[in-house]
Amino acid sequence: MNFVLIFLITIFSLSLFFYGRSKTKSISIEKNIKLNALPKFYGYYLVLWCSIPSLVFLLIWTLFEPVIIKSIIIETAANQGAIFNDKNEANLIYEKIKAIYAGTYFGDIDTILKESALSYAKFINLFTNSKIVLIFGIVIASVIYSLKKIKNNNKARDDVEVILKGLLFASSLIAILTTLGIIFSLLFESIKFFSVINIFDYLFGTNWSPQRAFVSDASAITAAEYDELKDAFGFIPLIAGTSFIAFIAMLVAVPIGLFSGIYMAEYASVKIRRISKPIIEILAGIPTVVYGFFAALTVGPFFRQIGENLGLTVSSESALAAGLIMGIMIIPYVSSLSDDVINSVPQSLRDGSYAVGATKSETIKKVVIPAALPGIIGSVLLAVSRAIGETMIVVMAAGLAANLTINPLESTTTITTQIVMILVGDQEFDSPKTQSAFALGLTLFIATLVLNYIAQRAVKKYREKYD
Amino acid sequence: MELMNNVKIKSKNLNVYYGEKQALFDVNLDLNEKEVTALIGPSGCGKSTFIRCINRMNDVIDICKVSGNIEIDGVEINDKNLDVVSLRERVGMVFQKPNPFPKSIYDNISYGPKIHGKGETKSELDEIVENSLKKAALWEEVKDRLDEPGTGLSGGQQQRLCIARAISVNPEVILMDEPCSALDPIATAKIEELIDELKKTYTIVIVTHSMAQAVRVSQKTGFFHLGKLIEVGKTEKIFKNPDNKMTQDYITGRFG
Repeated sequence: MNFVLIFLITIFSLSLFFYGRSKTKSISIEKNIKLNALPKFYGYYLVLWCSIPSLVFLLIWTLFEPVIIKSIIIETAANQGAIFNDKNEANLIYEKIKAIYAGTYFGDIDTILKESALSYAKFINLFTNSKIVLIFGIVIASVIYSLKKIKNNNKARDDVEVILKGLLFASSLIAILTTLGIIFSLLFESIKFFSVINIFDYLFGTNWSPQRAFVSDASAITAAEYDELKDAFGFIPLIAGTSFIAFIAMLVAVPIGLFSGIYMAEYASVKIRRISKPIIEILAGIPTVVYGFFAALTVGPFFRQIGENLGLTVSSESALAAGLIMGIMIIPYVSSLSDDVINSVPQSLRDGSYAVGATKSETIKKVVIPAALPGIIGSVLLAVSRAIGETMIVVMAAGLAANLTINPLESTTTITTQIVMILVGDQEFDSPKTQSAFALGLTLFIATLVLNYIAQRAVKKYREKYD
Repeated sequence: MELMNNVKIKSKNLNVYYGEKQALFDVNLDLNEKEVTALIGPSGCGKSTFIRCINRMNDVIDICKVSGNIEIDGVEINDKNLDVVSLRERVGMVFQKPNPFPKSIYDNISYGPKIHGKGETKSELDEIVENSLKKAALWEEVKDRLDEPGTGLSGGQQQRLCIARAISVNPEVILMDEPCSALDPIATAKIEELIDELKKTYTIVIVTHSMAQAVRVSQKTGFFHLGKLIEVGKTEKIFKNPDNKMTQDYITGRFG
């Protein structure tokens, strides 16, 4: 139904464009007046007036219709004698009624359900009909209004500009609201989690084993259960594992990325640069899951083999394998960002250094790199936040056990891996185990936010100096 | 009439190409020791290209090819085997736009000496920094804030800092590529005063767009046009009584 409506509105408003354009043209000729805008603006004006109010109305209606019908139906069912103790049971009955209406319910249908299903059908019809009537009303009203406007030779160009500005604003508002929505949902779920688990037990606990966290009733946790719980959600092993793997990744990515960035910016000829830069950037385009199975199936076993030959015990899922592959994945970020900042160091500084007799490498080491340092640090911090947030590689190659270890040959785990482990499969949404994923998500979000902020400040400070 | 000083730098049939485009055509120019030579001419005439040959700065530009000869004290410098590092130790350069390093004032000056292994102890280095800044007439203004960034100085101070940086390695020649074009008249006057003082010790070549500046600071002037050296001679003569019609037109402002 909605699609038909949207289609009709679109067709109608598009035809209004041509009508508005030719109408204003003929008005200007008839009355011999100068139009306030080009005829096509009057066309746009009609299109926008015809489509936006009705579409916005349709959107709002579609959002609220199910909610309103649901509350009405549940109330009528209750009046007819349906018994439900809490919200979940009410939801269940509502779903049954909907299924009966759709003809997909195969259980027993008692009189209450039957009556409710009939009134559901009645309301659906009523709502749909009134929706159609209202939409046509809105379309007609707005078209009459806008036709009257254009006959009076309004300033259509200015009006169209204002409406377009409003549309663009609405788009960015949606993006912002989505972000806020995500943050708040993280925040609220985390607050639920922290109302069960003390935040200090979470932040400073050294044991992470959420699979132990069975509670019979999440709304009433006994003291004995809590003692068990508070040892299950210790954040330290996760942040240690995350930092450790990120550290290994940076050990790989920073030197290689930085040196290749320096080579690209300072030494490579135009030809070499043109060929090799895109090749390095292809690394950034490889899906992380591909890196992941490369790490899990090739590099991990390879390290274990080498370890065996040397007489070492190497876990096939090791921090080293995951960190190494993650480092390779990050190389292009470091190299292309540092290439950019090195390139934006003014040539005059290099000239100044050459002019007192410095060689190329002396100039790079003592003038170019120090001048580009804030930008390079910024690029490294961005890479770190990338490493911390990376999920696929560590899920596949780093292991699941939350070992508190600094041995790179053992398996370890990260925040992102644990979030995945907690949320895959069937979940009860009110258990502390599930909620802990949101707490982890929030912690991760804050960590990367801070890193990104510092990185952007560093880069910006550097830009101000030379631009 | 005073005697001309000895010739310090001598160019013979110097040709420079940027890729396909020829920028200098058979330039033969002698520059005298402890004297200021001004190079004038319209934009793109090759003045800067010429002085960049003297310290081989054109090496930095990939597509630039230099043929012909330049001698300093009779030694050919346009030679592949020549050590560019020691050449640039002898021939310093100051650029159009002040380009202090984003380091402290002290580090800006000590940079060159450190590169050439001069001033091994801290006190030797201190002395070089102090002397260079004094010669560049900047010491009094910055002696209390040597650890502040050089980029924080005013434009004129920055340019004198760059002159001090050039002096710090104790060169014989200083090349100046429009050193005052980014400065206000007061800062310009200070730099010109400084050039007058520096010529007692150094051979100076200055590229300038200001005729007045050429008259004020130089003893000898060369006029370039479209990559050719049109006329060279004593500054007084070039500006009062040039031999060439084109020089006459340029200095009287008929083209430029």
